[in-house]
Amino acid sequence: MTVSRRGFLNAAALGTAGTFAADMTRFDVLRQSSWADEVKQQGKRVILLWLAGGASQLETFDPKPGRPTGGPYRAIPTSATGVHISELLPKMAARIQQTTAIVRSLNTKNADHGGGATIMETGRIKDPGIEYPDLGAICAKELGRLDSAVPDYVSMYTSTEGRRKGTSGFLGSRYAPMFLSESMQPENIRRLESISDIDHQDRLVLRDLLAKKFTQNRYSDSLGSQTQAYQRVRGLMASEKLFDIEQEPAETRAKYGPTQFGQQCLIARRLVEAGVPFVKVARAWWDSHGENFETHRELCADLDHSMSVLLDDLKDRGLLENTLVLTFGEFGRTPSINASLGRDHFAAAWSATLSGCGIRGGACFGKTDEDGQKVADGEVGAGDLFATILTALGIDPNKEYHVGARPVPLSDFGAKPIKDVLV
Amino acid sequence: MPSDPTKLQKTKDIGIPSIAMCVARVPNSGRLIFGSSDFKLHEIDVFAEKPQPMPFGGEGHQSYVTGVVLTAPNIAVSGSYDGQLIWWDVENREPTRKVKAHELWIRRLVISPDGKTIASVADDMQCKLWNADTGEMLRQFSDHKPITPHDFPSMLHAVTFSADGKFLATGDKVGHVAIWETTSGSKVGMVEAPGLYTWDSKQRRHSIGGIRALAFSPDSKLIAVGGIGQIGNIDHLDAPARIEIFDWQKGERKHELNNDKFKALVEDLAFDPSGQWLLSSGGAGDGFVTFTNVETGKPIHQDKLPMHVHQLALNESHDMLFAVGHHKIVVSEFKVSEPASTTAEPEKGGGK
Amino acid sequence: MRFLLRIHLSALCLLTTIVSAGGADLPSADLPIEQVVDQFIHQRLEAEKISPVPQADDANLLRRLMLDVAGRIPTSEEAKGFVANGSATKRVELVDRLMASPDFVWHQRNEFDRMLLPNKPNDGDFRKYLLWAVKENRSWEAMFRDMLVGDESDENRKHALTFTKSRASELDDMLNDTAIIFFGVNVTCAKCHDHPLTPDWKQHHYFGMAAFFSRTYVTKKNLLGERPFGEVKFKSKRKDDTKGEQTAKFEFLTGAVIDEPAVERTDEDKKKIEEVIKAAMQKDDAPPPEKPAFSPREKLVEVALRTEDNRFFARNIVNRVWDRFFGRGLIHPVDQLHAANAPSHPELLDWLTRDLVSHNYDLKRLIRGIVLSQTYSRSSEWSAGSQPPDAALFAVVKVKPLTPRQYSLSLLIAAHNPTQWPALDQAEQWVQRREQLENAANGWAGHFEMPGESFQVAVDEALLFSNSKRIEDEFLRDSGDRLVGHLKTLSDNQQVIDAAVQAICSRLPRDDERATLDEFLKSRTDRMIALRQLVWVLLTGPEMRFSY
Repeated sequence: MTVSRRGFLNAAALGTAGTFAADMTRFDVLRQSSWADEVKQQGKRVILLWLAGGASQLETFDPKPGRPTGGPYRAIPTSATGVHISELLPKMAARIQQTTAIVRSLNTKNADHGGGATIMETGRIKDPGIEYPDLGAICAKELGRLDSAVPDYVSMYTSTEGRRKGTSGFLGSRYAPMFLSESMQPENIRRLESISDIDHQDRLVLRDLLAKKFTQNRYSDSLGSQTQAYQRVRGLMASEKLFDIEQEPAETRAKYGPTQFGQQCLIARRLVEAGVPFVKVARAWWDSHGENFETHRELCADLDHSMSVLLDDLKDRGLLENTLVLTFGEFGRTPSINASLGRDHFAAAWSATLSGCGIRGGACFGKTDEDGQKVADGEVGAGDLFATILTALGIDPNKEYHVGARPVPLSDFGAKPIKDVLV
Repeated sequence: MPSDPTKLQKTKDIGIPSIAMCVARVPNSGRLIFGSSDFKLHEIDVFAEKPQPMPFGGEGHQSYVTGVVLTAPNIAVSGSYDGQLIWWDVENREPTRKVKAHELWIRRLVISPDGKTIASVADDMQCKLWNADTGEMLRQFSDHKPITPHDFPSMLHAVTFSADGKFLATGDKVGHVAIWETTSGSKVGMVEAPGLYTWDSKQRRHSIGGIRALAFSPDSKLIAVGGIGQIGNIDHLDAPARIEIFDWQKGERKHELNNDKFKALVEDLAFDPSGQWLLSSGGAGDGFVTFTNVETGKPIHQDKLPMHVHQLALNESHDMLFAVGHHKIVVSEFKVSEPASTTAEPEKGGGK
Repeated sequence: MRFLLRIHLSALCLLTTIVSAGGADLPSADLPIEQVVDQFIHQRLEAEKISPVPQADDANLLRRLMLDVAGRIPTSEEAKGFVANGSATKRVELVDRLMASPDFVWHQRNEFDRMLLPNKPNDGDFRKYLLWAVKENRSWEAMFRDMLVGDESDENRKHALTFTKSRASELDDMLNDTAIIFFGVNVTCAKCHDHPLTPDWKQHHYFGMAAFFSRTYVTKKNLLGERPFGEVKFKSKRKDDTKGEQTAKFEFLTGAVIDEPAVERTDEDKKKIEEVIKAAMQKDDAPPPEKPAFSPREKLVEVALRTEDNRFFARNIVNRVWDRFFGRGLIHPVDQLHAANAPSHPELLDWLTRDLVSHNYDLKRLIRGIVLSQTYSRSSEWSAGSQPPDAALFAVVKVKPLTPRQYSLSLLIAAHNPTQWPALDQAEQWVQRREQLENAANGWAGHFEMPGESFQVAVDEALLFSNSKRIEDEFLRDSGDRLVGHLKTLSDNQQVIDAAVQAICSRLPRDDERATLDEFLKSRTDRMIALRQLVWVLLTGPEMRFSY
């Protein structure tokens, strides 16, 4: 096969298809990155730990011990003076001061799974007129490279309940997530055995030659996106190993532990280390209408361990100062406890955390009232949280995209970053 | 006088401000000592004209009180998620002794029929036996893995003594039951009820339920195991109340009962002294009580209760039950004769 | 959002004046549509001193027409036949044949479906209704009524109500989607506040629309009901607001207000009615809801269609049909019908609107006119060496990404053995084949993105084509019913290249392509692999992915 390849490529280069010879260099562009000036916010990364279904703020970052709404668990001191979190998160408690800021005063108003998720994915309420991109797509665009050989938005959601892929909205499919739903490996990333590597490469070269002729006198961004998509195929295939945790030393794998969420956090670390700007790991399903305390005992153990190991690992590798780790879901849970010892949907006063890049560790912003029913101080919405996230990454939250003639700022109109949690 | 489950009738319905997690009854009375979500023990006389819970005082528990037993008419012992056992003078409602008993949350306390030994189970997966008088730990044992097969923390919710006090059974979240000889602490039997472990590996990746209740038949030959069955949606307690009955010495499962009438978690089980029926109770959004014919496995009688029930107490003649749970205490009779009209007037509960 | 608001507010007042002034000076109503289209497009090009590109060649035009009117590429036989046909009237004949064919019915159904129910693809019952409506050539006005008022007892029409039912759980969805899809107006922003700068555009415009839908609900048995009473209240969020809570009137976008006849009801009566409705929403065996004497949705349809208020409804659909064929509306974007966003060709829009209304909202007539115009049949290549002119001038045809269905159908056709299609005169056989193709396309359409305003091909798609077994099995198989299977029976490279390019690109290869592909074939040692890769290269090309 090596012979035949040389045969075709030489012919193409020498003249029969000589008019295309110059185009052969296009494939080197991927490696030589002549588009270096496209690189923005160099090296900043995001890992979003999406607590799908809605984790309880009272059993995580805003405990109310001893109150009728408080549930059975104690609050424990953290490494940040005066900040207490649930005893279900002992490992995180030891890391708050060093890495993590807590926002306890989110009021996002929508306590419906779909509506709440839309708000927390895009930082604003749904608008039938505009398909807004989600945080992953915004970060892919702002932090990624056009010619990136690695994916720039990876989304993992392996449970089936409440599964959401994420959306790049008006930014277009170029920024749509590579979505891992069925397994820990992306779909279609591995070459079929029925085709040799040489053939796989050559047909892409030939495809590009013919496409060039067609697109020469036709002006369309959509057309260009197809060329780009096919040009990224080989690079993405080369990133297959990033999803293979067997590549990690046994010691590292042992640290992350055996749960799927832990393993996905390890994949997330491998991805950001390789330059992927946005990775979302969804941990489903926190929707504890029944047996809230048992559910949180189980799931918080997973969250506490995986998040702590991830933060440690990022720190040890010098990645944490450029990697922002976020935890939140579509909403929190009701302070009142229902008859099944459950908590229901609640968006009026709940918590999120931000760790690492651009974040003041140990900061604890906002307060809820003594039973956690309302925000008592520092109320913020999803837009403010998004403005904070973008600011932490060095992205101007007021920067505007243009949808047709319509200017759309990255974070919602009127949203303000929470300065207290920023460095 | 034999009871008649088909005559089940609610006679009291009392609202309380907190969630009652456990109960013990002062013999031959309507006085209940219940532990609750307000971290306290309370006493209430359900036969009083206007029953009012009276909280115990002093330095008490730091979390939900999930187990309470009476070691003598005037001494109560409670256990809590705070890992402590506390001895109380019931009359003064003051603590007299505190013991740091478990590393993790205590889920249940039971007392041996002779009143001398207390057994506690907790999420450290240990069962511990205590001298009811001195508070001294007599023995601890465990046959329960701290981590589930899916690598999450397991839980040990259920413990019970046999009627003669000879045996003790413990049951965990993944459906494993160990049976112990009380005096020696040696394991004498095992039963597996994996149908009570609701791990959902595809949709939601978590579990709720596990073994929540255990009861030996009066002759100690059978053990009943209660919890919740296969859940389509484990966000809710949305599955049949599930009971399995085993002849544990033979290692045979006698019945597998999935009660479709009530979607609920079984929180408590009790055999009648003749061994004819098994009483189960528990709940989801509201509660239920079911009497099952032990021989046939068929329900004899079942009814709704107005709240999710966390524990039951029975009277001496086994024809009256005292259920405590979500913001309510309910008394029901199932006597052969008609219940007296004076107790038939339900109280209006105000705690909903 | 503020920007959007500014647009909305100016919309209402200005539209009123412009449209009502139109008509008098427009060209004769008797002229053919295509002639009027070309006349106005040409006038503006001349005024801007821009020369449009030449007409597309026959092969290109056929492919475009097939994709736009039939929703698929032509078979090799159809393509060869059209190019070889020397008749001067072959284009009109083709258009008339296509528009009478089952292909048109299926495609028109698919296009309606993606416009009307974009978030609920493949709703079988709704698609059945659409198929029936297209077959009947049901007027757009009647379809609108079917979808909003409907008739549960009419077998053919009842499923049209899926449009409303599928949105009934969210008042916002009902009113916003109706306003956007049928009136080309996006009123979302006015929900929260009046526009801060312009006093004309008020919250009451939004809540007026909301009032028409606020009583609508769906029963447990999925029947559409409407409460006989119920008001929409709203309150300004402005700090200086003195009005307090207001009750929304039944107010249409034109400002027309519908009065509800007063009915005396005691609280007792209301409670009873609410109980009946509650039961119907919760219980399967509850009786169907009674139709109220005053139906706000019926009133909305009535006011939206009456002559003095129909400008939003009529202009919107003309603009949307235009957008579908040209990839850009005469008013763009299509949900921004208002005077601050002037049409590129106002008189043309007025003429087409008048024509549509006077021909009973016959969309088929409008489509025929559009695709027969010279404007439509221009080339998509701009080779003047400079950037192409403003797209609003329609000097060059826009390249349009295929919809998931167009792409799926076209891939299936292209990868099929080109010698095995039913002959052109066997119409009956083709009806069956088309239905089979539609079903097969269902399985593929979900893999592709629905094109939106700034569509991009996702890398997922490129990975799918590059590495999926399903693609290989379906499109690159060498069995006798597939293109690769046919190519392997041809020994000569030139024959192979001709057949492959013809089947996939609907044209003969150019010389440079012949040479390149020939080199490629020669450079491969394994013939079968070479043929597969040749087909892959053409199937994944932009010529296949886009209409041009």
